[in-house]
Amino acid sequence: MEKTIVDFVKVLRTAEVKVSPAETLDVMAGIEFVGYEDRALFKNTLSMLLAKNPEEKETFETCFEKFFTFDDVMQAPGSGGNPDDTQDSDAFEDENSGNNPQGQPGGKGSGQGSGNASEAADEAHDDEETPQPTSALGQLLLQGSRSDLMVAMAEAGRAVEVNQIVVFTQKGLYTRKIMDQMGLKGLQEEITERQEAGDRGQQRLAGKLKRARDQLRDQVRDYVEKQFFLHADEHGKQLREELLKKVKLSNLEKRNHKDVQEIVFKMAKKLVSIHSKRRKTHKRGQLDIRKTLRHNMQYDGVFFDLKWKSIKVDRPKVMCICDVSGSVSNYSRFLLMFLYSLAEIIPKVRSFAFSSDLGEVTRLFQNSNLEDAMAKTMRDYGNGSTDYGQMLEDFKRNCMDDVDNKTTIIILGDARNNHGDPKAEILREMYEKSKRVIWLNPEPRSNWLVGDAEMKKYGPNCHQTEVCNSLTHLERVVSNLLKYAA
Amino acid sequence: MPDALLARAAQQLPVASLYLFKRGSPLTLDRDEHLATIEAIHTGLAGLNYISNEQIATAVFLAYHLDKPVLIEGPPGVGKTELAKSVANMLGISCIRLQCYEGLDESKAIYEWKYGKQLLYTQVLKETLSEILDGAKGLSESVSKLHEFGDVFFSEEFLEPRPLMKALKEEAGCVLLIDEVDKSDHEFESLLLEMLSDYQLSIPEIGTIKANPDRKPLVFLTSNNTREISDALKRRCLHLYIPFPDADLESRIVQARVPEVPEELRRQLVTFIQALREMDLKKVPAISETIDWAKALILLHTESLDAELVKQTLNVILKFQEDIESVTGEVQMLTNKALKGS
Repeated sequence: MEKTIVDFVKVLRTAEVKVSPAETLDVMAGIEFVGYEDRALFKNTLSMLLAKNPEEKETFETCFEKFFTFDDVMQAPGSGGNPDDTQDSDAFEDENSGNNPQGQPGGKGSGQGSGNASEAADEAHDDEETPQPTSALGQLLLQGSRSDLMVAMAEAGRAVEVNQIVVFTQKGLYTRKIMDQMGLKGLQEEITERQEAGDRGQQRLAGKLKRARDQLRDQVRDYVEKQFFLHADEHGKQLREELLKKVKLSNLEKRNHKDVQEIVFKMAKKLVSIHSKRRKTHKRGQLDIRKTLRHNMQYDGVFFDLKWKSIKVDRPKVMCICDVSGSVSNYSRFLLMFLYSLAEIIPKVRSFAFSSDLGEVTRLFQNSNLEDAMAKTMRDYGNGSTDYGQMLEDFKRNCMDDVDNKTTIIILGDARNNHGDPKAEILREMYEKSKRVIWLNPEPRSNWLVGDAEMKKYGPNCHQTEVCNSLTHLERVVSNLLKYAA
Repeated sequence: MPDALLARAAQQLPVASLYLFKRGSPLTLDRDEHLATIEAIHTGLAGLNYISNEQIATAVFLAYHLDKPVLIEGPPGVGKTELAKSVANMLGISCIRLQCYEGLDESKAIYEWKYGKQLLYTQVLKETLSEILDGAKGLSESVSKLHEFGDVFFSEEFLEPRPLMKALKEEAGCVLLIDEVDKSDHEFESLLLEMLSDYQLSIPEIGTIKANPDRKPLVFLTSNNTREISDALKRRCLHLYIPFPDADLESRIVQARVPEVPEELRRQLVTFIQALREMDLKKVPAISETIDWAKALILLHTESLDAELVKQTLNVILKFQEDIESVTGEVQMLTNKALKGS
């Protein structure tokens, strides 16, 4: 059973539930008290010890149901349809009950001679002596209970390490492996042997075994498929996510947008949880007289405990200016997505879009969902050749007054100005007025000075210039934004 | 045997539980028996008018048997704090509460030296001091003479125990409730770790204080999820999430808490509240509001809900003017639904 729990923990981990070894041990200890008999209790216990926030609880729920449930195996497996068996479909209990099911059908098999009505009629033909199967798997199929079979299947699966399955096409391979492990060879031999024997009873048994074998194959395939979904599917998803994080945003195709959006939300959530606590930095060396006096009154005014001044780190006030002309629009899209997913910790985001004329789109993004807002922005501002000079002029006219020493200005664009007037002096003004100006350029640094790019003039007027062309870059930029917001 | 137990229990019980005790609640059972099975916990809590679901009872059961603290999360007003208090009541032990807030530190949570007392004593003992030092020549001699007396001023007599330490020193065990742990600072969380995993605290001047190994305190932490609790803390706890109850459970809770409410009205108001929770509100009503509302309706001698009355008492269940305004328009429809549903 320990193995089962460990396997289950593995499944949880692939599904992004963080489980530490200590928690696995806790589960073992917990199970000693609650046992396996009561499924609901078992589940509650595991849920409490393993999944530690509402999202994880949800994931846990689906994983648990997938992992610890098996379909009704062998609805009518030959003659061994013990009516009692239909009731206990709980896998974990079953796994427990049969210790060594492979070799010996034992007590259970003996009491099941007469199964359902049709079988009974069938057997009436030659009731003197029905030949019994001799191979281990044959015995299990015809006489063992459903749960015994299930256990055998699970154990075989474990032996061939079905949880290592990675891609869809491996399903056939693992089905075969599990069948072999369960003793398919012995069964095959027996079937051929009995078919050749010529005796009617023998042949009938052979037919029965054949049918049971085919049924079993279907079930094993089913089992492998489930294992695939449990172990490999999530893994594949993670791989894809890693890939998408690194790919250049402009190369993303439309069909990937949804996935990327999900990743952005996930990253944003991580950032929120890291930065949700407002940090304080201590201004060392400055005594806070008021606090010290108040605090030391209890000691008769003797200054035991000195209090120092500290300042709270303010949430950044962000102004984000995005180039939305063709080549850069995808980057702008994801930057805005990122910023608005962080509304919880950066409440004051103002966003502007331009290709030549600058326009504020803050409202648009606040009031409608991202897709619509983006589409509208593109429609309204996306056309025309880029003119950074015009953009800076517009900014100066409309918004310069709102810039104060707490504002961070992020400009996203390739600085390709079509040989127009760059008007870097306005950027200089912004640089002096704001707390920080960050320029994000999707092109690699080596291209910054090539052709009509104006980074040479803009660069010195920014506090920070960054190459930014993938989600990883974006995450880093936003994270820094929060960290050094002091 | 039971008499001895009774006497012991009676000594330790606060007044409120003594009252319950007289009413014949099952306090005669020992602590272990109360927590022996999940059913026992169910009935025990129900006896104190706390209606638990399967998860809650399992959490209490596991907390006791695994010696692990329980971290309770969930929306406000679903009975997180109440659970801890009820468990304390059920077991007849005291409930020590530590309310967390920003800036809570070890001097408020664990212990503090009684500076005033230390000062006073040094003043008073000044003269004795010279007697002790009598005849000592030179600085080193007098210092070594003083050393003979040990750290008198840093002994337990000068220690002011705060909730965490109190909980450890409670010989008969207790329930320790660390309320709204998400309101405290990150540093405080780390401070709790030693206490939560080993039930001990280290005080540099004195040493380590350990809980009675047979009667470790039952620890409950509550959180409203205003921020993510650190993984280190979560790892040490059982995690219990209490959601809003379904209609059936809520009806039972109201019945237990406000037994005067007639069945008809109870069903109506539970249906009404459940419908409210579906709506898009700034703050949806919790169980505590349902109970308050039931009490209010009883005071107004209500037999059955009607739209006018609901409008007038809406401020009991909704705490934002915006919400009240947005719901007022729907009251007629919701009331009709509640009346029909029952």
